[in-house]
Amino acid sequence: MRLLVVEDDPDLNRQLVSALSDAGYAVDSASDGEDGHFLGDTEPYDAVILDLGLPVMDGVSVLEAWRREGRTMPVLILTARDRWSDKVAGFDAGADDYVAKPFHMEEVLARVRALLRRASGNASSELSCGELVVDTASARVSVAGNPVKLTSLEFRLLSYMIHHKGKVISRTELVEHLYDQDFDRDSNTIEVFVGRLRKKLGIDVLKTIRGLGYCLSEPDEKV
Amino acid sequence: MKRSSSLAFRLIAAAAVVSIVLLLAAGILLSSLFTAAVERSLDARLQAVMDGLLASVELEGGKPKMNRQLADTRFELPLNGWYWQITQVGGDAGHQLASTSLLDERLPIAQFDDPGRADGVRQAGYMRDKSGNRLRVIEQRFNLFGSKEQYSFLIAGNFDELQAEVSAFNNALIAVLGLLGAGLVAAIFVQVRFGLRPLSALQTELARIREGEQVRISGFYPDEIQTVTGELNQLLDANTEIIERARTQVGNLAHALKTPLSVLTNEAAIHGGPLGSKVTEQAGIMRDQVSMYLDRARRAARAHTIGTVCDPNEVVKALVRTLERIHVEQGIRVEAGYAPAVRFRGERQDLEEMVGNLLDNAFKWSSGNISVAVRPARNPPDTRISWLDIVVEDDGPGLPDGGAEIATQRGRRLDETKPGSGLGLNIVFETASMYGGRLSLGKSRLGGLEAVLTLPATGGQG
Repeated sequence: MRLLVVEDDPDLNRQLVSALSDAGYAVDSASDGEDGHFLGDTEPYDAVILDLGLPVMDGVSVLEAWRREGRTMPVLILTARDRWSDKVAGFDAGADDYVAKPFHMEEVLARVRALLRRASGNASSELSCGELVVDTASARVSVAGNPVKLTSLEFRLLSYMIHHKGKVISRTELVEHLYDQDFDRDSNTIEVFVGRLRKKLGIDVLKTIRGLGYCLSEPDEKV
Repeated sequence: MKRSSSLAFRLIAAAAVVSIVLLLAAGILLSSLFTAAVERSLDARLQAVMDGLLASVELEGGKPKMNRQLADTRFELPLNGWYWQITQVGGDAGHQLASTSLLDERLPIAQFDDPGRADGVRQAGYMRDKSGNRLRVIEQRFNLFGSKEQYSFLIAGNFDELQAEVSAFNNALIAVLGLLGAGLVAAIFVQVRFGLRPLSALQTELARIREGEQVRISGFYPDEIQTVTGELNQLLDANTEIIERARTQVGNLAHALKTPLSVLTNEAAIHGGPLGSKVTEQAGIMRDQVSMYLDRARRAARAHTIGTVCDPNEVVKALVRTLERIHVEQGIRVEAGYAPAVRFRGERQDLEEMVGNLLDNAFKWSSGNISVAVRPARNPPDTRISWLDIVVEDDGPGLPDGGAEIATQRGRRLDETKPGSGLGLNIVFETASMYGGRLSLGKSRLGGLEAVLTLPATGGQG
């Protein structure tokens, strides 16, 4: 899962990036509205955390521009202006949720999880596929009740796949959603990760679709 | 308003006083001119009698004697106020001659004695006869042919007979002048009313501005008032601008303080330890204080805004739309009723804060159904102006007994398990009372809480 943080305060930006990275997301960041808008318009993010009070281009304009350009990723707005008129303006511009400053980091994490879950059409924070259960809130993975220990990148891969259960995901798409912008990308490493992940899970849920990519589905399901 | 402090009263009173004084002076002048004219014409008639008398009298044995009767018979009826009398100055009764109307009476001539007076110079005056008639008297003194003695010739006319004429004139004069005075006062009244009409038009406009039905003074006024309305408009603009600026600065301050507070809170959470928890605790207090005082400053700035009005239906629609997105997963059904003609007399932001908090509570507690309605007030606190109700109901658990009082206190929360700073209902309560309105909490027909917010309104009732 790849996220974008657009926040002009350097400290808060750093805190958000590090907290979200720790929670297992690939995170890019921008410190003004123009950069933020450009990234959101060109990179395929799974969700965006957007401050409304931004230099160069304010948050509401950035959000409106994205929606106009057909960008539908869920957007969580951060705002110090917590009056109802600001909330109405934010939601009317196309926001999906908001957190008022000052906030606790857990609140942002919880809202991001909820947004991703909602975007993938899941009602609970526990996503499952056969015996495989991924708890997005606690970042715990289990197969038939037995916990499985994954590295951060493996979890990210599995999390993206299970959020898009049943869909064929290309290697390029996986690369785009697993690594942040600065990472030296190599789609061949994906194969290595998929191989390791299959071994750790021990069940046949992660299937290779020749020439297209991968698909996460129930073990006996044909794709 | 005291009557004497009214501009119209002052103008009318001043003009009325001046008119009455001028009319009185004119009346007195006219009356005395008329009296003088009457006197002059009487004197002329008396002079004619005098001339006739002079031509008819001669001395016979040193005594004056008439050689023919005067033609005027008025001098023959006794004591009727018309007399003539010839008296030898300093002589006895034997040297006197008088009209038969005087009978044995004689009129005194002492008042006409003047040693330096030349022969034949006429004197005039008033006196009374025995029967009380007021007499106009003219007198001349001559040395008659054939005598060295000086004789006083006196003719008296009954002035009372003329007094009736004078009175009739005076009465007519009073009537005419009175009528003229009344006409003048009426004209002044009309003039003042007409002249001051722009002022009452201005007053109407100002009232409309206060009611929030217009923002500036827009009518055309006479030059003298136009300068005042120009100044008033600039004052209104300046007022709006100051409030706008204050509000922007308050917003900027909020933004400026809240971001560092977030950073502090999060940094403290990462590091933990006693310092971390102290910072977390204090940052929490700072956060509450900041929002409390910003809120207060915001409302104080708004309390003085005059003339704003907003559509409560639109506010409710926007808030429902937003809250439905925030709570999209709960799948709450909102039943909304609107009253299109009703307008809230106050700031849109205040209404948004109040209704937003009420609806937010309803969404937080509801288990599936919410009802919100805008309507003219059912139970207005004051019948002189119109009021509106905004009713928010939910099917949540509602308030326990006595809960309404606790719920409206700042920072008090009945349930600590739901998110929120606990300022919600208190803000609604305080803002409503600032507008003279009220918030009443009760049991909803849906089973949960019913909050009725009553606020001042303008425009159509119903």
